[in-house]
Amino acid sequence: MKLVTDNLTFKPEKEYFLNKVSLEFEAGKLYTLLGRTLSGKTSLLKTIAGLQPIDTGNIIFEGKDFSTIPVWKRNVAMVYQQFINYPHLNVFDNIAFPLKQRKMKTSDIENEVSVAIHKVGLLGFEKRKIQELSGGQQQRVALARSLVKKAKILLLDEPLVNLDYKLREDLRNEFKNIFTSDLSANSILLYASTDPLEAMQLNGDIIVLDEGEILQSGTAKDVFENPTNIKVSEITNDPAMNILKGSIDSNKIILNENVQFKIPKHVKNIQAGTYHFGIRASDMILDDKGFDFNIDISEISGSETFLHLHQNELNIVLLIEEVKNFNENDKVKINFNLDKLYVFDGKGDLLFSPFKMN
Amino acid sequence: MNFNHKFVFLLPGLLVLIGILIFPIVFTVRLSLSSWDSFYPGLDFIGLDNYIRLFTDDKRFWESFFRLSFLSVTTVFLQYIIGFSLALMVWKDIIFKRFFRVLFLIPMMTTPVIMTVIWRTFFHESLGPVNDFFSLFGITPLWLSNNILAKVTVIIVEVWQWTPFMFLLLLAGLLSLPKEPFLAASIDGAGPIRKFIYVTFPLMAPISIGAIIIRLIEASKIMDTVYVLTSGGPGTATETSSYYIFIKGLREFQIGYSAALSFTYLIIMIISLTIISKLLVKLLIKKI
Repeated sequence: MKLVTDNLTFKPEKEYFLNKVSLEFEAGKLYTLLGRTLSGKTSLLKTIAGLQPIDTGNIIFEGKDFSTIPVWKRNVAMVYQQFINYPHLNVFDNIAFPLKQRKMKTSDIENEVSVAIHKVGLLGFEKRKIQELSGGQQQRVALARSLVKKAKILLLDEPLVNLDYKLREDLRNEFKNIFTSDLSANSILLYASTDPLEAMQLNGDIIVLDEGEILQSGTAKDVFENPTNIKVSEITNDPAMNILKGSIDSNKIILNENVQFKIPKHVKNIQAGTYHFGIRASDMILDDKGFDFNIDISEISGSETFLHLHQNELNIVLLIEEVKNFNENDKVKINFNLDKLYVFDGKGDLLFSPFKMN
Repeated sequence: MNFNHKFVFLLPGLLVLIGILIFPIVFTVRLSLSSWDSFYPGLDFIGLDNYIRLFTDDKRFWESFFRLSFLSVTTVFLQYIIGFSLALMVWKDIIFKRFFRVLFLIPMMTTPVIMTVIWRTFFHESLGPVNDFFSLFGITPLWLSNNILAKVTVIIVEVWQWTPFMFLLLLAGLLSLPKEPFLAASIDGAGPIRKFIYVTFPLMAPISIGAIIIRLIEASKIMDTVYVLTSGGPGTATETSSYYIFIKGLREFQIGYSAALSFTYLIIMIISLTIISKLLVKLLIKKI
């Protein structure tokens, strides 16, 4: 069972919603669409579901042209960013809705629904009205409704983004369990997200989208280790990877007149010239022997501290894995973990990565 | 100072309420206990005589009441069906959407009495264009002087005049519905018809009930259409309660008796509309 999108393009006005999207999805796998808002994630999901038209391209599922099949006959399930349920029905009837559309026997419906309710942890809420539930519970109902269908294609469009931090963490773990335990060889799972961390945690294949275009696709490890260009490196890292403009001259990397260092071992046979150097916020450390930087902003997030630093024209975000207080305009000394340095060429394509490149 | 100043501010509203609502009702009740007519005007007291006459010796009132029930329920039902269909039609993106929305509202903007005069001309049995058309097939239905057809004519005119109001309320309702459940329904495997049955209709139930009740209240006052179109005729075939009360009170000047009629009518209407709305709620909201 395969879902193939072939050259999908949708450009209603000036901007591309989808731009030549050609992908292949296999059953039993989890795919994460990673991209910023308006990158075409929702468009792609909606197109697969049949809720959005396309200008050109084909969707082929199990060898059949999908685009001629109306939405309600496609047997896809979708969970949205907003908690979409039927406001006039209670929890049980909401979850039973897709099964009722299939004219299933009442006793079968009851069994299926109670299994789903159990799975998403809504036991005891069957008779509640949707409006009487919290946001997290509403999203659980939507998830149960999509699971109960046993659809061959399950589309999840940023299902956790409207939930609070703690709930998001809990539900993400539950999602993962439900997916891995339920994801038989018969379903294709597509999960859209803006959060790189979430994509890595779900640990499926990652498809990086930007402006309707596929920038890179591969396993989570692959995309994380070897982002094909600067844009991917920004999208797949939070905080975005620091991209520093600099040059190489006589065995030295020169970021500016003060910040210069030796070329690390994994960067081989590089010619002199200007390049973009990438380094993750977590790959720099406070070091008394390091370079001087000024603190612009210091923010504490959870158990981590982000430092926004600058030296002359050089701007850097640094992540410290502990809570520390700094004052603005203080000076700190930092050093780069050069073994983790990425080199991109002038156009932004990856030249050297600290990890093994394909 | 114990004097509560806030009540002073309530006074104007309270006075208006007493003047235009409470006093007339109380006065009507008092009037219904008198024998005020054109020969002996005045507020004498005859006890419940008028009510006894009404309940024991006035078949015509009850007939007119059941006729009214039939007419108003039928017209409102038809208005609801047609109004809902039209609203559904212009709810989705169709060409000339705005044009149609305004077009469907035009009947409501016309003066009912004038339009009824025009309809009367339309349905005129020997000179009207309707029978001009039917004479092509060799028939000339008696639109205004046949017992059953006269009712049909009243229904047609009422439906034409007031469907736009229903349409307006229901369209506003449709436009205020959230879009998401419809998305979910198509994903969940509901085709256009099932989507209507399981999503649109139940979501519209509260608005539908409101619209139906408003129209029922309005329709139960049918008077101008009947007055102009058939004058309650032929015989009493299209006579409604309000028209009958009008005849008793302002034609025959049995003021006391017509007050009793009005008051009884009011009570019955309040009770029956309450029951109807409760039934509708049960039928449309609880069940689905």
